[in-house]
Amino acid sequence: MSSAPYNQVQTLYRTLLVFATVAVVILAVGLVEFVYFEPPGQATGAHARIVGVYAYDPTTRTTLGTDKSAFARTEEFAAVVDWSGLPANLSVDARWYDAFGSIVGRVGPSTPAQLGNFSIVPVIVPQGLHHNLPGNYTFVVERFQGGVPVEVLVRRFVLVER
Amino acid sequence: MSTSSYTTPPAANPHPRLRPGRYGIAIAVTAVVVITLIASSLLNYVYLDTIPARTSLYGLLAVALIALGTYIGVRAFTRDRASRRKHLIRAGVLLGLGTLLWLLVIDIFVFTQSAGPAVAAICALACLPTTAFGLFVVRRMDRNEKEPWRLVLVAAAWGAIVATSLVIWGETLWDQTAQRTLVPGPGLDASTAFSAGLLEELAKGLAVVLLFLVMRNDFDDIVDGIVYGAAVGLGFNFLESVAYMTNMYGIFSPEGYGWYAAGLQWYGRQVLGLFFGHTTYTAFIGAGLGVARQLPKKRQKALAILSGFLIAIAGHFSWDAWVQFFPIDNTIFGLVEIHLRTLIMTGPFTAALIALLIFGIRYEAMGLVDQFLKEAATGSGAILPEEVPVLASPWRRLKQRLRAFQRGGLRAYFEVARLQSAQLDLAMERWHRERQEIDTPLEAEDALRERVIQLRHWVPAA
Repeated sequence: MSSAPYNQVQTLYRTLLVFATVAVVILAVGLVEFVYFEPPGQATGAHARIVGVYAYDPTTRTTLGTDKSAFARTEEFAAVVDWSGLPANLSVDARWYDAFGSIVGRVGPSTPAQLGNFSIVPVIVPQGLHHNLPGNYTFVVERFQGGVPVEVLVRRFVLVER
Repeated sequence: MSTSSYTTPPAANPHPRLRPGRYGIAIAVTAVVVITLIASSLLNYVYLDTIPARTSLYGLLAVALIALGTYIGVRAFTRDRASRRKHLIRAGVLLGLGTLLWLLVIDIFVFTQSAGPAVAAICALACLPTTAFGLFVVRRMDRNEKEPWRLVLVAAAWGAIVATSLVIWGETLWDQTAQRTLVPGPGLDASTAFSAGLLEELAKGLAVVLLFLVMRNDFDDIVDGIVYGAAVGLGFNFLESVAYMTNMYGIFSPEGYGWYAAGLQWYGRQVLGLFFGHTTYTAFIGAGLGVARQLPKKRQKALAILSGFLIAIAGHFSWDAWVQFFPIDNTIFGLVEIHLRTLIMTGPFTAALIALLIFGIRYEAMGLVDQFLKEAATGSGAILPEEVPVLASPWRRLKQRLRAFQRGGLRAYFEVARLQSAQLDLAMERWHRERQEIDTPLEAEDALRERVIQLRHWVPAA
């Protein structure tokens, strides 16, 4: 039996182990990233209130109709937030995410008092498009710490129909 | 070395049972897959009242048909010639029914919602030639002993139908939970990437594991593992491409960009990413299993298999989690950026895989040449000393087949091809027996030798 070929399997095995070590490092970096953006123990107990999600008229900058969870893609819509129930020392913002995870509407970050005049948070139609893209939209009010959102104080899902 | 030492080696692993313990593991893995499929689809149906959840429930029948058809089809080749045809027909009918049912379910309950079955059919047709090309190239990579088409296609079918079914359910549960609990942004992206990397690679890897456990005679080393793994990845990539293309068409067609959006997905997944992405990741799982195939110790085997899975999961994770850090400009330079992004993010993984493949092919070739020489030295007549340089070189083997074609046409070409293939099979069997990696009885090797001698009888002298 020749010994050389056997050693080559060992070489392949060791090479695989080296690659696997790199893989473990990549996964560890991913875990660190996750913990950085999702730090444990961040529940303050504070809760924001979403009054509702309504059709929106961009010319008058007012909401119309009743609270809805689904809109046609030709309809513009906005969330209405009640900032008054939040502690004054918090840094917060409110955002709309579309189905691709892109931010399509935002106010803040700032203190609840300063955001009091910005209770209506509309979804902005992306540049180059005529209407909103269909899919599930997420509206969140987030608490900031060190410039990074660390806690969702309230969230709401809205469907934009095809 | 003396001639006597080249004689036929003894049975390396005289296992008393015809069905070794790995069959038990294969049955256990299959049972776990089936139970997981049933449990997750029922949970989805109960807790997530969405269209994909209903799809998962109806899809169970398709998965069961595919699994049964695959089993009957693969086992048919171990049966005698008389009953093989009957079993192959049964397998074909079951596979056909399962595939049709699955496509029907997908089209009606998912794609029709967004774009309609005609668009889904066009997208599938657009992805077929590229995926077929990918499978052709992947199979050709094994230059010494090509894997049977039936197993390569079974691997691709698993990737396209069974693996995608498994991940739809797992990822839906994971992502729905994450979207309701995590802060949107990089943390949620990382969670989604972990879900995709872990669940998709496990679902795809199971196919390679089952081939490794059940089809040991056609799973020789790292090269075979890479071929099977890549085939599973190509199958998965096929159905994922169809799903993304149709979905993008549905989203952007009211804006007038439907075909443009679908075309971009096709280019990114079926041209630029054909051999990157899923193909590379799952090929690493196959590489781990292939190396494990030839390692002597159980601990090393386990580590090699684990390594393959870890590399696949990490590669997949890194793309999904960090692709957002390479945004594409909405300018003409964006076209360059798309290619650079793929090259930078998945290129290193593909390069590492190619390095393993090249090393594996060279190592396999060395092992085979060693066995050609030893078999020639026995004087059995199965391999003649003057044939060794020809058999050792894929290029010279091709030239020999072409010479036969010039002399006797296609029939002569295929007769020489069959002889060469049988000689390679014999050398491979000897190689595994010498390395004590085989549990077939010595009679199997004698039968291979006998087959070579019979084939030689029909082939004119080279």
